[in-house]
Amino acid sequence: MPLNRRNFLKLTSTYLLGSSVASRLLSTPAQAETIKMPFENGEREIIAYPQKRPLIRLTSRPPQLETPFSVFNESVLTPNDAFFVRYHLSGVPTQIDPLKHRITIRGLVKTPLSLSVQALQELSTPTEIIAVNQCSGNSRGFSSPRVPGGQLGNGAMGNARWTGIPLRDILNKAGVLKGAKQVTFRGLDTAPLEATPAFIKALDIDHALDGEVMIAFAMNGENIPLLNGFPVKLIVPGYYGTYWIKHLSDIEVLDHTFDGFWMKTAYRIPDNPTHSILPGQTPAKTIPIARMNVRSFITSLSEGSTINANRETLLRGIAFDGGEGIKTVLVSSNSGQSWKEATLGKDLGKYSFREWTLPFTPNQKGSYTLVVRAITRAGNTQPEVPLWNPSGYMRNVIEKLHVQAV
Amino acid sequence: MRSLIYLFIISVATTASGVSHAQGPVQAIITPVNITLPSETLLLHPSESSGFALASAACYTCHSAEYIKTQPKLSQTTWKAEVLKMKRIFGAPIEDKNIDPIVEYLTKTYSQ
Repeated sequence: MPLNRRNFLKLTSTYLLGSSVASRLLSTPAQAETIKMPFENGEREIIAYPQKRPLIRLTSRPPQLETPFSVFNESVLTPNDAFFVRYHLSGVPTQIDPLKHRITIRGLVKTPLSLSVQALQELSTPTEIIAVNQCSGNSRGFSSPRVPGGQLGNGAMGNARWTGIPLRDILNKAGVLKGAKQVTFRGLDTAPLEATPAFIKALDIDHALDGEVMIAFAMNGENIPLLNGFPVKLIVPGYYGTYWIKHLSDIEVLDHTFDGFWMKTAYRIPDNPTHSILPGQTPAKTIPIARMNVRSFITSLSEGSTINANRETLLRGIAFDGGEGIKTVLVSSNSGQSWKEATLGKDLGKYSFREWTLPFTPNQKGSYTLVVRAITRAGNTQPEVPLWNPSGYMRNVIEKLHVQAV
Repeated sequence: MRSLIYLFIISVATTASGVSHAQGPVQAIITPVNITLPSETLLLHPSESSGFALASAACYTCHSAEYIKTQPKLSQTTWKAEVLKMKRIFGAPIEDKNIDPIVEYLTKTYSQ
């Protein structure tokens, strides 16, 4: 229905909406720009949020913003103002004073700590890592059959240079005691209802101490945008974004496996090698989602693009995985009948997007199906047929683009 | 010379793992950030059914209408599972007798 003031007032008076919702809606702006995602019911608004350029709005409360795919052709590092946003709980901390922020480290430690951001920064030598943060449900909108959840295209991912202090150094400062099994992480975001499970994630103690997991205070050399976790964010290289806790404020070392909702019930994948099942089946056993699988994309062209026949076009794209590193990117211009090896760009580390390029000259006019697949250093590659699971996680099918040479 | 070789080895090792020492001085983070989130622009689709009012009252407590409107055509069973999840896990204020009317409204409105 058109949301004008009169309709809205009628609705609110008839149905007694919460006053907080009413005040939000009454300030409705003029017609928003929209985009149609390439799946059914894919209409989305394009809207600029604070510290962000206009992005694809999946939901407004709590905010979920997707990066327009063209951004991935701009640079290998995703600009902060284009980086996707995903909250689970609508109590977003919209006012943060970094001088008052504290990160507590407690539980099974010798010395519980309460660190200011400055104390964190001075705790040890800051390190940097370039790593992809990808939503577990990135590309869920393409699941077939469709599944409930955030109906994302391919833009719930980004690659950034994170600067911070290794979690290992922080835990060592607190002194992890014998018997530690897992470490939990919580940020400032809260739910409006007390009954809602707090958004708490857990890593095994060995993972937390691996020297790579980091508490970052900078993203691409700048303060982290508020909606990406200002002032500090947990970085879990190679792991899906669900573990990358924003506004990190509380760390607890446990002597047992954490059994909160967001580990025990949500963000679970089938416990088999492909983490998939056939639609209609029920997984025999599930485990928490963890490391990302390998994906690759063409970024320089989009579905339906036009290129010149008999003239060279430089195809370009990105490939990444959960930390094995990209060994090879193969590109086909004939639906996968034959493949050519792309040239890989600079190696920015095994957790980063890896740029690839390949010159392509269509030798006649007509339709071409461009296909890209990546192979990791451990030999893992992408499936030809999409893998399916009930939550729409970990999509990594070989991507295809249909282009026209004219 | 030997130390140079060690340095070289260290730098190779850090590149391989992807972790390296940060470049340049650490910037102090001192300025508060206050943002205002843009307004919501969508409501649930109006309907004569009681489920519309009940859904509006319950769902908006925690999330905006896009959480429902952007879903694919879910089966009635799936909508019911979602409503039950909201009530039982997230604590949505939904009385038992209101579950079915809400499920019926969601299915009729968003899955046909």
